[in-house]
Amino acid sequence: MTDKEKRTDVAQQTIDDVALQTIDDERAMTGAPLDSEQADALAGRLQGGVKQGHGSGGAASATVGASIRRYGGDDRVTGHQKFLSDLRFTGAAEATLVTLPVACATITKIDTSRAAEMPGVIAVVSAADLPQPVPRFGISHQDRPVLADGEVLYHGEPVVAVVAETLDQAESAAREVEVTFDERSGVFDLEQALESGAPLVRDPSLRPADDENRDSNVLETALYEWGDNSAAADGADVVVENTYTFPMVTHFPIEPGGTVAVPTDSGGLDIYSPVQHPYLLQRTIAKVVGLPLAQVRVFAPDPGGAFGGKQNPKLEPLLAFLALRTGRACRLVLSLEQTFQMMRRAACRVKARTGFTTDGALVFHDLECDYLIGAYADVAPRVMTKGSYVAAGPYRIPNARTAARAVMSNTTPSTAFRGFGSPQVAWATESQMDAGARQLGLDALQVRQRNLVNEGEAFFRGPYEATADGQWHQSLEKAAELIGWGQPLAPNRGRGIAVAIKPGATSGLSQSLVRFLADGSAIAYAGTSDMGQGARTLWQQILAHELGTPLDKVRVISGDTGIVPFDLQTSASRSTVFMGNAVLEACLDIRQRVLALYAEATGVDAAALSEAPGVLVTPDGEMPLLEASRVALGALGGEFVGQGTARRQGRKGHPLGGDAAFYEFNCTAIEVEVDFETGELLLHKHVSVSDVGTELNPLQVISQDEGASIMGLGHSQMEQLLVDDHGVIRNLGALDYRIPTFKDVPVELITHGVENHDGPGPYGSKGMSEGALLCTSGALGSAVSDAIGMPVRDLPLTPERVWTTLNQAGAQPGGGEADT
Amino acid sequence: MRYYRPVTTVEAVAALASEPQTSRILVGGTDLLVALRHKAVQPKLVVDIKGVQDLSAPITVDDEGITFGPTATMSDVVAHPVVREWFPALVEAAVVVGSVAIRNRASLIANSANGSPAADTSPPLVALSASVTIASVSGERTVPLREFFLASRSTLCGPGEMVISMRVPRPAPGSSSAFERMTRRRGVDLATCSVGAVVDGNGAMTVGLGAVGPTTLQGGPVAPVDLSSQDEMQRAIEALVATATPIADVRAGKPYRTAMIRVLTRRALLRAAGRRNDRGALPDVLGGSSSSTIQADPTIGRRSS
Repeated sequence: MTDKEKRTDVAQQTIDDVALQTIDDERAMTGAPLDSEQADALAGRLQGGVKQGHGSGGAASATVGASIRRYGGDDRVTGHQKFLSDLRFTGAAEATLVTLPVACATITKIDTSRAAEMPGVIAVVSAADLPQPVPRFGISHQDRPVLADGEVLYHGEPVVAVVAETLDQAESAAREVEVTFDERSGVFDLEQALESGAPLVRDPSLRPADDENRDSNVLETALYEWGDNSAAADGADVVVENTYTFPMVTHFPIEPGGTVAVPTDSGGLDIYSPVQHPYLLQRTIAKVVGLPLAQVRVFAPDPGGAFGGKQNPKLEPLLAFLALRTGRACRLVLSLEQTFQMMRRAACRVKARTGFTTDGALVFHDLECDYLIGAYADVAPRVMTKGSYVAAGPYRIPNARTAARAVMSNTTPSTAFRGFGSPQVAWATESQMDAGARQLGLDALQVRQRNLVNEGEAFFRGPYEATADGQWHQSLEKAAELIGWGQPLAPNRGRGIAVAIKPGATSGLSQSLVRFLADGSAIAYAGTSDMGQGARTLWQQILAHELGTPLDKVRVISGDTGIVPFDLQTSASRSTVFMGNAVLEACLDIRQRVLALYAEATGVDAAALSEAPGVLVTPDGEMPLLEASRVALGALGGEFVGQGTARRQGRKGHPLGGDAAFYEFNCTAIEVEVDFETGELLLHKHVSVSDVGTELNPLQVISQDEGASIMGLGHSQMEQLLVDDHGVIRNLGALDYRIPTFKDVPVELITHGVENHDGPGPYGSKGMSEGALLCTSGALGSAVSDAIGMPVRDLPLTPERVWTTLNQAGAQPGGGEADT
Repeated sequence: MRYYRPVTTVEAVAALASEPQTSRILVGGTDLLVALRHKAVQPKLVVDIKGVQDLSAPITVDDEGITFGPTATMSDVVAHPVVREWFPALVEAAVVVGSVAIRNRASLIANSANGSPAADTSPPLVALSASVTIASVSGERTVPLREFFLASRSTLCGPGEMVISMRVPRPAPGSSSAFERMTRRRGVDLATCSVGAVVDGNGAMTVGLGAVGPTTLQGGPVAPVDLSSQDEMQRAIEALVATATPIADVRAGKPYRTAMIRVLTRRALLRAAGRRNDRGALPDVLGGSSSSTIQADPTIGRRSS
């Protein structure tokens, strides 16, 4: 493990100081590509340079691994960045939506006649005005109608769209639309949805005849099983059995977002939407409205936060139809309240039964995980299968069974959300580890030390086994050290520690173009959406390093499907690995092209030439790449264009469709003080340690870890969507849906990255943007239980819930590690 | 909607009288502008009184008390040295209203005149025996704040009227006050419940209670008790919160509110009592969070190992 001390101080240093810092580990500089096929090709070229002693050539090496400030960051913090709502469109019409005050209803009549005659109104559109049958779209299930088709299935589902010259006119007209409806009984939580005879969210006739769950609200299931739990149970010395719940929470991006659809002169559409997957949106729009891909151009202005909520198309198909129907640019900017009705995380209930030997070794682990998804599938079934895949945790378990279900309800469709189904199950498994430890007289650290897998050891067994791809014990030990595990505790305090994993992307395709211009400046075309994670900064760093170009001469272009090559998606913390490798390969392509043309132009034998970051190596010595490129281009000038592709194929038969490219592993430890009279928590110390491979930009790694930690405290301490008997969200908006503020962050928040340069991304990096929230709940629950001497099993741990727990039975102030 | 910016109180109340049911007063705008934007209210006339020249000054101190004008903001209240010395409970409440930007705009008087049972500054003002003066085209009248609240969002300041000043009498020698609030998080939040407590020189106790009834409620005064006696304190607290009728809503359940109003009352009483010999000892910097026994002072950083 690399000595971390100098790196951890990086954040405090000036950029100039930082620019001198490099990752001096040779392994870190050789890069590590994705697939074995690519690995051979790419590593061969890289090693060519390394062998000749130019592994970190030139000034460029000061860029990768340094805390470079955010590309575009100045604009973002000074308010100059243009978000979707800042964009101006000549002659744009404004759209607004009509929704119902209930979650579940049959629409009997829609009267738009009065609205249509209101001043400024251009169009009033309901499902009847769309092509029939009403087009539907979705990822795995094409189930979401462009507009409510005879029924609404969740609170906020749009029924009618009004387009007018001004927003006021549109809103006034919207109030004149008369929708007659019969409210139906809906299901809003797991108990209701799974009750026998429950109202069905989806009509069975719309489901495949051979779907064994078609007469229920279960949309999909997953079963992961190895060993024999029932046989193993007899051999367990201690068995703990509990049920855990995790609430519905919403993403709460600071920028709500929206969409502008602009009809083009050639009969196509330009779609502006701050999405994570512009190419998926392009494909969806083309399919729904029946245009060739080349006629649909998606502009994706930087999302102001997304967290998974801006991945999949939602209202964009509607705006596309409105634009085509009216011939006008149609603009819809969402409110925060509307985003609550567009995106959320699946709630989850986990029934867990876990057996241990007397020395704390796991014998078996049995989990039944019910994810409460919404009224349409979105990507929620995938969240269920991928989240529950790691439900048993990163442990050595000889026998395990995880049975998971995605259960539909009349609520906001749940979708991808940072952690992708893992935080829900980690809450249960980590709490079970503590429950076992308490019975065995072990502490929370000991039980994890005893069971956490070593590198290369399987935590998921069977034909598609998954093994630890990092030295995860290092993170556990580091977190224990940083939290001061084992040190005496002040009164009313408790300490907890937890670990969790999340599979990274299981397949993917990222393509990049890099242009190396005549003056040595460079442009990267990379389709990753930069929604705050700072992806562009990394491409800038890679170009600067590989081409020997100063950072300020590198531009990055993204968010335009018309000119930027294909990228599958910005999700699953994949971009550093996938797009990073594509950008790296494009730079290597340029160096190869410079070499070849230099040989041609000068008559030097190409075999006598080699290249390394920032330089061409000639028989006379190193030559800066820019100089070599000028010689090569000669009098005609011009530029070099490099192309890079990172492709990862899935694996047939694999329950996730393929092995994860990498795993995010995190260990979080928390010291909390409990106010026994009020149930209030004060987090004195919060430690998050992530296994990150290589920190390409430590400052950005820190901000991702801190952001994820605080976001994790949101669903652990205060966030939850509450719905009433009609399925209407009771705390719709910022007033009563509370997320952490800076006054709510722990007194001391410490993040740390373990670097072993063992990731599949450039220079040994891994994705790392989700890790720090995977087990926040587990660590906090563990700490609170330690403090109050009794378990907590339901989130969020609001003061009221902690107080209620305390008052259910005689809790005693804690202090000191549990059971020691 | 028509916007009108009068320059005299007479003009202002005349304008309000012309549209008694459909006009709204604008001072800080921290409630009204949000409601307008969300179309929760749709007045025909907005009367912006910030330009009225003959309004009471924001804060006027005399020997018998302090008079606040409609334009006194929460930030004014928090920063004023005499307010800090005489009414620590009011300062503790004012400093947790919204965020810094809100406090720089929000009007102290409007916080009460708005009629929300969860208003932060109303409980201490009730306990401190504040009164308000209401003006209309037919004249002025002054009423105790504890009688001002009729129901949620309903006060004695009726259609066509406006509150033109608030008077808080100087506390008797030897008395002091404190404010306690329960919220769901430490940052900007609305009260789950709150208590403003006044303990006078001989130990008599009065409280104002927030978010445990349809309006801000007054409890007490009750006779002095031995503060170190659990039983006596418990009896006094029960008497002080007897008027509370907490309900369950999106912010908390009834059992929790019922218990918390008692916890907060005891904490506020003890702090107010302890403060009586320590006049003017409000810390220079008050955190913008509830004054629970545990306070966050966040520092974020990465520590080298």
